[in-house]
Amino acid sequence: MRRCGTELQPDAPRRRVCWYNSGCMFRKVLIANRGEIAVRIIRTLREMGIASVAVYSDADRTSLHVRMADEAVAVGPAPSAESYLRTDRILAAALDRGADAVHPGYGFLSENADFADACRDAGLAFIGPSPESIRKMGSKTAARLTAIAGGTPVVPGTDHSVTLEEARAFTAKHGYPILLKAVAGGGGKGMRRVDRDADLESAFRNASSEAARSFRNAEIYIERYVERPRHIEIQLFGDVHGNMIHLGERECSLQRRHQKVIEECPSPLLAEYPEMREAMGAAAIGAARAAGYYNAGTVEFLVDPQRRFYFLEMNTRLQVEHPVTELVTGLDMVRLQIEIAAGAPLPIRQEDVTWRGAAIEGRIYAEDPYHDFLPFPGTLTRLDRPMGPGVRVDGCVYDGWTVPMEYDPLLAKLAVWGASRDQAIQRMIRALREYDVGGIRTNIGFFRQILEDPALRAGRLHTGFIDEFFEHHHAPKPPADLEAVAALAASLHATSAVASNGRGETPAPTARASSWLTSGREGRLR
Amino acid sequence: MKLALTINGAEQPMELLAPAPACRFRLGEGPELTADVRAPEPCVYSILLDGRSYDARVEETPEGLVVVIDGYRFEIQVRDPRRWNRKSAGGAREGRQAVAAPMPGKVIRVLVAAGDAVEAGQGLVVVEAMKMQNELRAAHAARVAAVSARAGATVAAGEVLVTLE
Repeated sequence: MRRCGTELQPDAPRRRVCWYNSGCMFRKVLIANRGEIAVRIIRTLREMGIASVAVYSDADRTSLHVRMADEAVAVGPAPSAESYLRTDRILAAALDRGADAVHPGYGFLSENADFADACRDAGLAFIGPSPESIRKMGSKTAARLTAIAGGTPVVPGTDHSVTLEEARAFTAKHGYPILLKAVAGGGGKGMRRVDRDADLESAFRNASSEAARSFRNAEIYIERYVERPRHIEIQLFGDVHGNMIHLGERECSLQRRHQKVIEECPSPLLAEYPEMREAMGAAAIGAARAAGYYNAGTVEFLVDPQRRFYFLEMNTRLQVEHPVTELVTGLDMVRLQIEIAAGAPLPIRQEDVTWRGAAIEGRIYAEDPYHDFLPFPGTLTRLDRPMGPGVRVDGCVYDGWTVPMEYDPLLAKLAVWGASRDQAIQRMIRALREYDVGGIRTNIGFFRQILEDPALRAGRLHTGFIDEFFEHHHAPKPPADLEAVAALAASLHATSAVASNGRGETPAPTARASSWLTSGREGRLR
Repeated sequence: MKLALTINGAEQPMELLAPAPACRFRLGEGPELTADVRAPEPCVYSILLDGRSYDARVEETPEGLVVVIDGYRFEIQVRDPRRWNRKSAGGAREGRQAVAAPMPGKVIRVLVAAGDAVEAGQGLVVVEAMKMQNELRAAHAARVAAVSARAGATVAAGEVLVTLE
């Protein structure tokens, strides 16, 4: 049967057994997303024998998710507001192609309750929680109230969006530093730390306008800033039959611009204090149950230096960093999401979840870490991916692809597994050495540098770690022997152009053997 | 063959004494070296020097060549000194500071007008790329000489947005 996900309510009596093994799995799923996560979802769909439908904007016609999917539908111009955020066009594409379900990925419409509602109304299963749960957890202020109702500790702050005047009143009472955060936010967009009155107005305006552009919602709320916190999150899975388990934690304290860049499982802190995993897991499940939650979700906590944890927010979707949990638990979380959306019960109980070894992930971005992490769009002229033991790359790039400037500059996620945290880090550094991306700048070299840091190796992390790292470190100096080698390569490369066009112009970026190489080859042939 | 190189901003003479594969060369005041050089892939040079193996990847950019070895970047301009001209040797005018777009993007807001006095750290222009807004600030106190940025305009990396003096 089709449309089996649409009638699912967590508290509704189940009349029909409806899941994978009883022939009730989806036959075709539309992915309302782009980039690496769309590619990631297509891979699991293919493994499950389910057809995939990609959507794409004008900027993405040749992107990998379109090339890999079984079917693809254009949904509008490059700006996401006119394509990937157009509920009407995406639903029309799903119905037109005969899809049973929609996977929203992360970002875009993934935490939009109206979109989940619209899917339900159109008779499509939404691969995620119910619109009601998204409303209870999707907005950060609503989530705070839900968490408070669930007895989960929260950071002091406003429980509603504020005006600039109300922000002034809050700081007059609670002082600085504070965080301005977008009510509809995520990924650090629309978020600003403010340390003094003089900066409040401009920070408020910038945060609000960034929020409006990113989320079509300019509302801002305030939280007291917790000094030197760790960011540790709990992965949850619930089914529509009322079962809920956690898959342990991910430590995501390594951030730039309040956005995670390196994530790991297990957290070095919780590895040292395993009783915290039980406590945080229980608190996360409590908060999620208060929202009647099912499917994949993540409860994020701030952990202060005294190891007290505070509910930060709940992400009602698959996380970017889910691969580290997959590597350590051995589960395919996208498969679990799809099975749950089709009505299946969770295939495992809490006591079946085991954590083996350690995994670490780095988000490879088109950006220049040594110039304030500025985005660096452009065309890839070269791509060599790492391979070998314990290495996983979730990417969306290929040689010759142009990184569009309209979207997040995430190129790929490099995740590795090791028997221990030390081995995982060593393997990560090895894999980063093999990773070569030409034509644009990336943070690959920066990851190699920071993974050597003794404090990181000792697991002493906090969310300001990268900012502090840059107070003491600059771009690493190359070993002395490399300069002569680089000079030789450049000279041989350039002299071929001097010789061939005779004018010394910058040669066209094509493969051209240096005349110095060629003459040498000819010499050997003689 | 004698070449004039600029490696990450520093000038260094380079002398190519024998062609590849057994390439002899001398960089700056350094010793004469012999390297085995092959080009196994386009724009990739495998270089064996003193028994060590290096993979040098060369990119051609409008500003010159970028050579990447083991993740380290070298920006290198190669000139044949016999053809060198002084056109590119002019420096920035004293006192004037051009504030340029650090990356391709879109101008969201222009915060100053020509004639404004600005303080160090004051915001000048907000540019957005890949959903990230960046406020470009004045490095030191100055007067705004010219504003070429327009709100809503798409700009290329390096495009001058504001000139301070």
